[in-house]
Amino acid sequence: MSELNFSAPIEDRRRVTIRIVVLQVLLGVSFTVLAFSFWYFQVVQNAKYEELAANNHQRTIALRAPRGVMFDREGRPIVENRSSFSISIVREHTKDLNRTVRMLSEVAGLDPKWVQGEVNKHRREPTYQPIVIVNDASMAQVASVMARRLDTELPDVLVQEVPTRQYPVDEVAAHLFGYVGEASEGDVTSQGVQSGDIIGKSGVERVYNKLLMGEDGARRVVVNSVGREIRTLEEIQPSEGRRVELTIDMDLQRAAEEGFKAAGFNGAAVILDPNSGEVLTFTSLPAFNPNDFASGINTTVWNALNTDKQKPLMNRAIQGTYSPGSTFKIVVATAALEEGIITPDFRVSCGGGATFFGRYFHCWKKGGHGSINLPHAIEQSCNVFFYTVGNMVGVDRIHKWATLLGLGEKTGIDLPNEVSGLVPSTEWKKARTGEKWYAGETISVSIGQGQVSITPVSLAVMMATVANGGTRYVPHLLKAIDEGNGKGWKPVPPPPPKSKVVLKKETVEAIHNGLFLVVNGAGTGGRARIVGKDVSGKTGTAQVISLTGGRQAMGRTDRDLRDHGWFVFFAPRDNPQIAGVIFAEHAEHGASAAPIAKHVMETFFAKKEGKPLPKLNMPAPIPDPEGRTPEPIPVAPPPAGTIAGMN
Amino acid sequence: MFERRLYHHLDWLLLGATIVLCFIGVAMIYSTTGSTNPRLAMTQVYAMLIGIVAFMVCLTIDYRALTDKSHFVYLVLLGLLIYVLVFGTTAGGARRWISLGVFNLQPSEFAKVGVALVLAKFFGENRRGNPTTGDLFIGGILAAVPLVLIAKEPDLGTAVTILPIFLGIAYVAGMRMRILGILLGVAIVAAPIAWNFALKDYQKGRIETFLDPSQDPKGAGYQQIQAQITVGSGGLTGKGFRKGTQGQLRFLPVAHNDFIFSVLAEEQGFVGVLAVLSLYLFVIWRSLEAARLAKDRLGVYLVMGLLASFTFQVIYNITMSAGLAPVKGLTLPLMSYGGSSMIATLATFGLVQNVRMRRFTN
Repeated sequence: MSELNFSAPIEDRRRVTIRIVVLQVLLGVSFTVLAFSFWYFQVVQNAKYEELAANNHQRTIALRAPRGVMFDREGRPIVENRSSFSISIVREHTKDLNRTVRMLSEVAGLDPKWVQGEVNKHRREPTYQPIVIVNDASMAQVASVMARRLDTELPDVLVQEVPTRQYPVDEVAAHLFGYVGEASEGDVTSQGVQSGDIIGKSGVERVYNKLLMGEDGARRVVVNSVGREIRTLEEIQPSEGRRVELTIDMDLQRAAEEGFKAAGFNGAAVILDPNSGEVLTFTSLPAFNPNDFASGINTTVWNALNTDKQKPLMNRAIQGTYSPGSTFKIVVATAALEEGIITPDFRVSCGGGATFFGRYFHCWKKGGHGSINLPHAIEQSCNVFFYTVGNMVGVDRIHKWATLLGLGEKTGIDLPNEVSGLVPSTEWKKARTGEKWYAGETISVSIGQGQVSITPVSLAVMMATVANGGTRYVPHLLKAIDEGNGKGWKPVPPPPPKSKVVLKKETVEAIHNGLFLVVNGAGTGGRARIVGKDVSGKTGTAQVISLTGGRQAMGRTDRDLRDHGWFVFFAPRDNPQIAGVIFAEHAEHGASAAPIAKHVMETFFAKKEGKPLPKLNMPAPIPDPEGRTPEPIPVAPPPAGTIAGMN
Repeated sequence: MFERRLYHHLDWLLLGATIVLCFIGVAMIYSTTGSTNPRLAMTQVYAMLIGIVAFMVCLTIDYRALTDKSHFVYLVLLGLLIYVLVFGTTAGGARRWISLGVFNLQPSEFAKVGVALVLAKFFGENRRGNPTTGDLFIGGILAAVPLVLIAKEPDLGTAVTILPIFLGIAYVAGMRMRILGILLGVAIVAAPIAWNFALKDYQKGRIETFLDPSQDPKGAGYQQIQAQITVGSGGLTGKGFRKGTQGQLRFLPVAHNDFIFSVLAEEQGFVGVLAVLSLYLFVIWRSLEAARLAKDRLGVYLVMGLLASFTFQVIYNITMSAGLAPVKGLTLPLMSYGGSSMIATLATFGLVQNVRMRRFTN
């Protein structure tokens, strides 16, 4: 081998050695640099990269807790949950957002522009947060999206099963239940909920949101690079919201709403147990369909609800303030008797009108009522009697008793955004206008006009307070809460009464008699009469505009200017078990509201006695009166037990 | 040809370190692909066995005899490279393989050995001391032909590994440092010109993305970012064998291949990284010793040529594994999945040991 000419020993070995040593030094430096780089990444910056790695492969999927089921007082479920599917985009896993939007739109049959708009709305949120595109997706949508997901064509699209609120389909008690929606930024700060949570936005859903909401669970899963779930790391089951029992009786609730529907009125009804303040029926019409909100309301429906002239989103029972009309005479009578200003035998002579402080005030009855005492003055709704008595009592004592009976203040019902009515006083006027109260103003107040305004719910409280002899209960809706974990139902103690006076026996007797006669005598409430149940009540008219102004305004505006009708009631007279108010919007007569009350009471008593639920018999509407009068024309009482004008 | 006494001069430590690296590689391949494709780790083991046979063959034949015939080896390999360009098996848009039924042969991996042999012979025959410009030119051509052929496949990564062979041999052959400086100067001047005229847009994009991976986190920067996450999340002691998430769940593409070192870093942590870095350093260092101790120029050049390519590939791949270099299809010799590379690399070390072992023979 040595003969090979190129294999001779190296002459310049020294140079070779130096060059190799140089290389060895360079090599050592390179490897040291590499080692330091790895040390820097792996040890110094480890926490940062560990988090990035976790974000890469772990996905936390929120498991929405079903909200607590609501039951009525008889344990019937009324607001429940159903399963629905939502389709979302998780941008964290998106490679090409435009493509995803295009494909999802195509697959689910959506407008790509709209989908892009939904994505844009949530652009600022963290990318791991799913952006919900379709709520309550159809089975066809779910199927076609899932098929694409399996092909890994849409790894960034998430289909989730979510519990969705299910309300009665016929909008029953919509204003009572309220509705749910995604927490707004304001809710997040004020209520300590999280962005994306579904929370109660109105009604019972809102007031008892904390109870009903439950706790969302979560599933932490490992996903691979195409978004497929590999395994579950941890699963925290959602815990369902607390089940609650409401004081509502759905039979009565439906009876009231059927009554309104048959009569063709909008309005409100609040019906209470006068001995506890439990709300048996609560309605405000027109209503909305809470199911529309359950999986995110769409803009068209929301705008329609907001611009509707009939204001379906307004809860008339607690947010509408109206003049109480003649129903206020009950307050004036109570004040006069309790203050000892008159006795039940006190008589006033009505000649169809009277002059006070130089101004002539009409009674609704042209010829007058003649000499009349308190029970009959209530029966006949004699204005002159109450002008006279109101004048004697004075506005401040009227204010005092109105307050004790529940008017002019919030009732404290457990519903959001209740407003307070107004019963004027000298102090109020002074504070408000700086002016002195004129005694002449008291005359209008005495028949529930002038500045008096009240909410339907407060009028129901007034009626219940008069019925029970002076205890002003707080109307409330929550009867019991399921403790959960098998501990069973725990009754919720009723809120303490707002005030308690013991009305004199003679006061109660005189007023109850008067109210009894309204329904069972020659009064205006004959349409609420139930044989053997001693229904007692009072009609009233809430003027929409003043008498003289009204004439001028008629026909010049498209607003409905017809008066509202009131009917307040309780039964039976001597042992009241049910009390409440029917507010019939633009019904013109309180008498028109009475049949609705009657249907509710019939249902109530039938249930009590174990009889089948009564069928609704709606009498023919009262013909339009010729001239506008402060009080509707009383109808002749029909023969007991039969109803004129079957429909 | 082979004498028993030569055994005493075999560098057993070097051989041991080489084999240990191969086994670590197999373990990492198993870790990332064991659950989805358990065949890969086995294939690698078979390649290793064939590689050991290649090692022994390269050890047995005296390197001087082998180098003497190197022009044949060179021509055969050029033929194979041309054959691949015409009849090769296509995968992933590149023609790199010759299908042999049981397995695919990647001639470009063997081309490196061929180029090292032929350049060692060429510079070794030169007895005039320092290589002249003419020598360097001819040597450059010898290296450029296979380089261009491989680049045509296209396999830019492997093609680039030919270059260090030439530079390594020219360097120890005594190429004037001035020439090296000139080459460097030309490269610096040429870079902006190449940027403006020679590079295609996607190539520019790649470089831009390397400089700022966050520019294109879902596209070209993706691998680089994922590599960094993989390495960084490993920590001091790692997530444990088969417990990595980046490699296991395929956030890191071709983890068993180009990014095998990232997987090691993720699962075995900085401790594992240090161990493997030390092994590579040891292997290269000991091989340099073999070059230093070589009996003749031919031996020095042969070892240097082979080692330059190997070292370049190791350093580049490890740098890339940490997201510190642009992602190129460059494997980590001895550890990455790939039969041809395994066999060719073990053959390389056969030749290195060959030179060392015969340092006392004539």
